Amino acid sequence: MKKVIVHPERCVGCMQCMLACAAAHSKTKSLFLAVSEKPQPKPRVHVGVGLYEEGFPNRCRHCNPAPCQLACLPGAIFRDNEIDTVLIDPDKCINCASCAMACPFGVIRYHEDAVAPPGKTVAVKCDNCYERRQQKRIPACVEACMVAALTFETEAAAMKRKTDEISRSVSTGAETAALSPGFELLNTLKKVQIEMRNP
Amino acid sequence: MEYVIIGNGVAGISAAESIRQLDADGNITMIGDESGLPYCRPMISMVLEGTATPNQLPIRKAKFYDTLNIAPIFGERVTDIDVGSRTVQVGTAQSVAYDRLLIATGADPRPINAQNQELKNISYMRTSLHVANMLQSLAGTRDALVLGGGLVGFKAAYGLLRRGLKVTMLIGSGYPLSLQVDQTAGQMILKELVAQGLKVKVGVEVTAFEGQDKVEAAQISDGSKIACDMVVIGKGVLPALSFVPRDHIEVDLGIMVNAHMQTSNPHVYAAGDVAEYIDVARNSRWVNAIWPEAVSQGRIAGINMAGRPVAYAGSLSRNVIRIFDLDVLTGGLVTPPHENGYEVMSAMHAGRNTYRKMVFCDQRLVGFTMVNDIEQGGVLMALMHHQIPLTIPKEALLDTRFNFKQVMTHGAWAASPKAA
Repeated sequence: MKKVIVHPERCVGCMQCMLACAAAHSKTKSLFLAVSEKPQPKPRVHVGVGLYEEGFPNRCRHCNPAPCQLACLPGAIFRDNEIDTVLIDPDKCINCASCAMACPFGVIRYHEDAVAPPGKTVAVKCDNCYERRQQKRIPACVEACMVAALTFETEAAAMKRKTDEISRSVSTGAETAALSPGFELLNTLKKVQIEMRNP
Repeated sequence: MEYVIIGNGVAGISAAESIRQLDADGNITMIGDESGLPYCRPMISMVLEGTATPNQLPIRKAKFYDTLNIAPIFGERVTDIDVGSRTVQVGTAQSVAYDRLLIATGADPRPINAQNQELKNISYMRTSLHVANMLQSLAGTRDALVLGGGLVGFKAAYGLLRRGLKVTMLIGSGYPLSLQVDQTAGQMILKELVAQGLKVKVGVEVTAFEGQDKVEAAQISDGSKIACDMVVIGKGVLPALSFVPRDHIEVDLGIMVNAHMQTSNPHVYAAGDVAEYIDVARNSRWVNAIWPEAVSQGRIAGINMAGRPVAYAGSLSRNVIRIFDLDVLTGGLVTPPHENGYEVMSAMHAGRNTYRKMVFCDQRLVGFTMVNDIEQGGVLMALMHHQIPLTIPKEALLDTRFNFKQVMTHGAWAASPKAA
């Protein structure tokens, strides 16, 4: 099964995934129109700032067993095994924030949402773009990511690619493939910053 | 294999599900004193408050026992365990044999020492029945008295305030929730509650209740008298283990278990509010009588009972409280003892109305309190639970921008050979 895979080393912190995610979970599905919607659509993927100002797209890992599901008081959090996705039923959610204590990645937010009962604050997190997947479209964050920090592929394919990358890097005389223009420079800068702070 | 589970709460339910996942053929018997479907105990305060309905409480469907092929014995308490012949005595007549026994009886409300407790409208708040009774007598009441400033007392007071009653709370310590939150957060909660009309009396106890049929007033240890037509007793809970043979199964405050939730008798396990295991933040034995612990411990107990040895990392206290405009999330040791070795850092952000306090022991996070902006609380819980030594500046955890990436990057960097 294909899933969203995060490659943190590639993220440039542009936050395009957040916009795309919010728009994909809006009523109108259009970024242009979504900004004036009520409740205002909010993203389920969160680009966190690292200690050195580097970005990281933090999204739900759909853990199994999921700590949030185990901690959920009203049983609103459940796993859809067919799509290997942990989902929250907004009608059952009581906004108790027990899942906030349980999520080791801090990816759950609490706000009103287009699919929740109007005026009700509920727990909201990534649903692997359930609606888009029904329409055979890939998740919005992956579609928006310009640097392939988010990819949609099978775990096996991603693992193989990583293994190949590592194999190539240890071969003598191998050329490293450029990730994208400007990337080497950015990574070099970050590495220097980190080294300066950790002599 | 004969599995017997005493207790139909979430620890027992989680254990039964875990056993069934690993052992399709074993016989599972569940014994519970509350008849009816297993329900979500923390939500009973929301029923009192009116934000949840009683039909939202059940955590499993009625066919749960059939689906998992469980033989239920409900409405009865276990009176004795014979570890020699491996049987449990249920009520007076029935005895059930076991190969693996789980004690998940939970806890009972701590009784108070006051006269005339049998008057009407005086109740504990532990079961859905208690709350149903409170709701029934709600119509004729105006002044409620809540005994105890712990989580139950606090939730009762909050619920009754929201129902429009005048509420007076008697607290033993200086501020509410003194075991759950630190003093600063406690004062913030108290201020919020007082602003909403709660009256608080500190450092006093009830000595006796007065009234003809229903309660009408309470005599206080300082000699004064408080008029009230409803009383809620929320002075904490005690593990329900009166039937446990202490000469065969080691008992401290709770039933002592090892990392596999196994008691000193290898055929007997314990989990949930009745069990006592190592608290990772305190680094000592502790009963953490909270819902998420019961779920985790029940699960671990079930897996081990079914023959797959899995160790539990340790228990940890935690709480999240949402009242009016405050979100309060706490975990671990919120107010460390004064001995050396603990480092405390805190930060207030007046603009965002947030407060954070972190308690460290060496390089480990062992406790925290956060008010508002609580979304990253789970990351802190995970750092504590897995006892991960911090390699980032401790101040970073106080920042509202703190997120998973900050621990991830640095962990990876520290583990790389270059940094070593």
